Amino acid sequence: MQRPEIYPGVVFPETRKRNRIMGKLRSGHLVEAVLWLLLCLFLFIYSFQFDQDIEIYRFGATAWPRAIILLMAIAALGQLYHHWKRGDEASVQMISAAVDDGSEEAAHEAHHEGLKWYASTFGFLIIPFAYMRVPDWIAALLSAEGTGVHAIRIVCAAILIGIFVYSMRRNMIGAMLTLPLFFAAMLEDMGFYTLAPFFIIGVMYLFGETRPKPMATIMALIFGLLMLLFVKILYVGLPVGNIHPFYDIGSWIVTVLQ
Amino acid sequence: MDAFNNFLTGTITLFSDPLGILIFFGGVIGGMLFGAIPGVSMLTLAAILLPFTAHLSAEHGIMLFSVIYCTGVYGGAITAILFNIPGAPENAPTAFDGYPMTQKGQAGKAVGAAVMCSAIGGTVSCIIMMLATAPIADWAISAFGPPEIFALVFFGLAVAASVGAKTFWKGWLSILIGLMVAVVGLDPVGGIERYDFEMPYLLAGIHFIPTILGFFAVSEIFVQAEKKAKGSYTAPKLSVNFPTLKELIEHKFAVVRSIVIGFFCGILPGIGATLAAFMGYNEAVRWSKTPEQFGKGKLEGVISSETANNAATGAAMIPLLALGLPGGALTAMMVGVFQMHDMEPGPLVFINSAELVWVVFAAMFFANISIIFIGFLETKTIINLLRIPFQFLAPMILLLATVGAYAVRGLTIDVVVMFLAGVIGFFLRRSGYSVAGIVLGLILGKIGEQTFAQAMQMLHFEWGGFFDRPIALGLLIVGVVTLMGSVYGEFFKKKPPAAETPVS
Repeated sequence: MQRPEIYPGVVFPETRKRNRIMGKLRSGHLVEAVLWLLLCLFLFIYSFQFDQDIEIYRFGATAWPRAIILLMAIAALGQLYHHWKRGDEASVQMISAAVDDGSEEAAHEAHHEGLKWYASTFGFLIIPFAYMRVPDWIAALLSAEGTGVHAIRIVCAAILIGIFVYSMRRNMIGAMLTLPLFFAAMLEDMGFYTLAPFFIIGVMYLFGETRPKPMATIMALIFGLLMLLFVKILYVGLPVGNIHPFYDIGSWIVTVLQ
Repeated sequence: MDAFNNFLTGTITLFSDPLGILIFFGGVIGGMLFGAIPGVSMLTLAAILLPFTAHLSAEHGIMLFSVIYCTGVYGGAITAILFNIPGAPENAPTAFDGYPMTQKGQAGKAVGAAVMCSAIGGTVSCIIMMLATAPIADWAISAFGPPEIFALVFFGLAVAASVGAKTFWKGWLSILIGLMVAVVGLDPVGGIERYDFEMPYLLAGIHFIPTILGFFAVSEIFVQAEKKAKGSYTAPKLSVNFPTLKELIEHKFAVVRSIVIGFFCGILPGIGATLAAFMGYNEAVRWSKTPEQFGKGKLEGVISSETANNAATGAAMIPLLALGLPGGALTAMMVGVFQMHDMEPGPLVFINSAELVWVVFAAMFFANISIIFIGFLETKTIINLLRIPFQFLAPMILLLATVGAYAVRGLTIDVVVMFLAGVIGFFLRRSGYSVAGIVLGLILGKIGEQTFAQAMQMLHFEWGGFFDRPIALGLLIVGVVTLMGSVYGEFFKKKPPAAETPVS
């Protein structure tokens, strides 16, 4: 399949005609501008939290961030104007890079666009953040302590993993974006040594690999290499987890290797 | 003569240290490999290695990055020629003629030309860099104060906004995101907490290593996952076949022209090799008697682009080492390496760490020379490496990034930040924003705010003080003119007709 033109500012994929509101403006463009302006508003309002005078510096702590916020708002409006007049065309004078890494047309051609896809993807991304917050809320609600909190975290992780596995085939990219974040969110509790093998298998699966033998071999190879390089040779301390039995597994691996 | 003696000292220091030799060859091979493997780039490798440079000496860390820079720019040409996927933005014009050459069965010749011309462009640029950087640094010590550095940051950002994103506005928004991220933490003058959201983690600011890893390495994996979903991965057939001496002599003017263009573009902060490659290619088309053949597999297209982008690598080190200002994503990471060793790049490096500078220069020189030898051998290895399915590379890269982000401070929250930056980078990239712009904003934001505050204090908060400083004024004027030119282009310039299609 031929890639789109990447000559600087000359050709770019066709302006999509659907969902146009005004000129070449689409609803997606409007959402993008509104998001930027909301971000600016939020950052500006938050800047009053640290609006303090500095004796030796007349402009204080807020002048620099507020100047950036103002420029952001201007650029967001400029971008909206660009979308209105020119739609998805690249600027004439740009020396392209983002346009030629293929990410935009890959999204377009894989039909990873539209409100439904974004809703599904962001729905997926709630999972790791749910793991970061929900167990603490439940523990506070039940006044749980010590091993009770650990048990709540394990149960929450199991439920969220179940939801993740059940839903991942519906939106593989959403799952791909979520898996590393979920892995990172669980790292503190479960440890690198326990999670890494499952993470390797998960990434391979989401990239389309389904054959068990190559998956097991590559998993063992990658995990083995990482352990050898970072634990055995470089003595890098990786998180072992703080929940039983994950902590014990991690500590055992470190003891054996070192 | 001084420069020659220093170069010899640097060479002896480099090759008398076994660890230095190991790092040198690791960088040469790693840069080429990561530049060549589709889905990753030299920036991915640099981002992964960045945290581990804390365990190396400053000399070895900077040398490793400079070597990766030289060979990675060449490595990116291989994917541009074979897959029409430029390894980095600076290799994009190489694809215009390199890929049609592959389609015509001349991939070997295109890769051979890229090897030769990358080495020539890089080596010449390196020699000029060695002769010019120290005098510029000497001059900068007396001529550059905070107002000048702030003006140069402004100029660099104004130019960088035109590179990498889909539109001028998205270029600016990318940079502004980086500048805003740099604001998080304590303010540089009064130590007031800003945007910390009452999280102790954010008091020290968002660490640049997890951010860089996320925006470059992780977002790249996500983009590749989407491409995989689209199903567009095909392995090409390849041989390496150097251009004949006759062909090189025929293109001697193109080589010289591209070296000159590449060097002058590379020296500008904020653009470097990308503009060099595009301008080298554009000038080749403009000067050619047969411009209609460009884009259809003309060897001169590959020669011009690859000579120019490698000629920019040496030049890009001049603003970094002489003034302390990075010109692109990789040089911005080099600032990170300096900072991890409690050093600041800039003119004083030549006084305080002269040995470091000359070891780096010597390493860059030999890295460019080695492109000819190792590039020839390694390209054949790369053909085999390209057969590794990406589903096996992706988990390896993600786990290396995880270890890298965690190893910085031993905090799992850094890993979360990295993957979050990856997700944000993924959405921004597919919307036409530039992750390189974000990183440049992040690095230059801290320097910019600090020097602005110092400049204003120095000038007693009188804006007119800038008018008394010709260098600062000149840079500000050029920055404003660049900005206004981009705004003018945005509002009044018509888009050229889309009839010409360089890639057939």
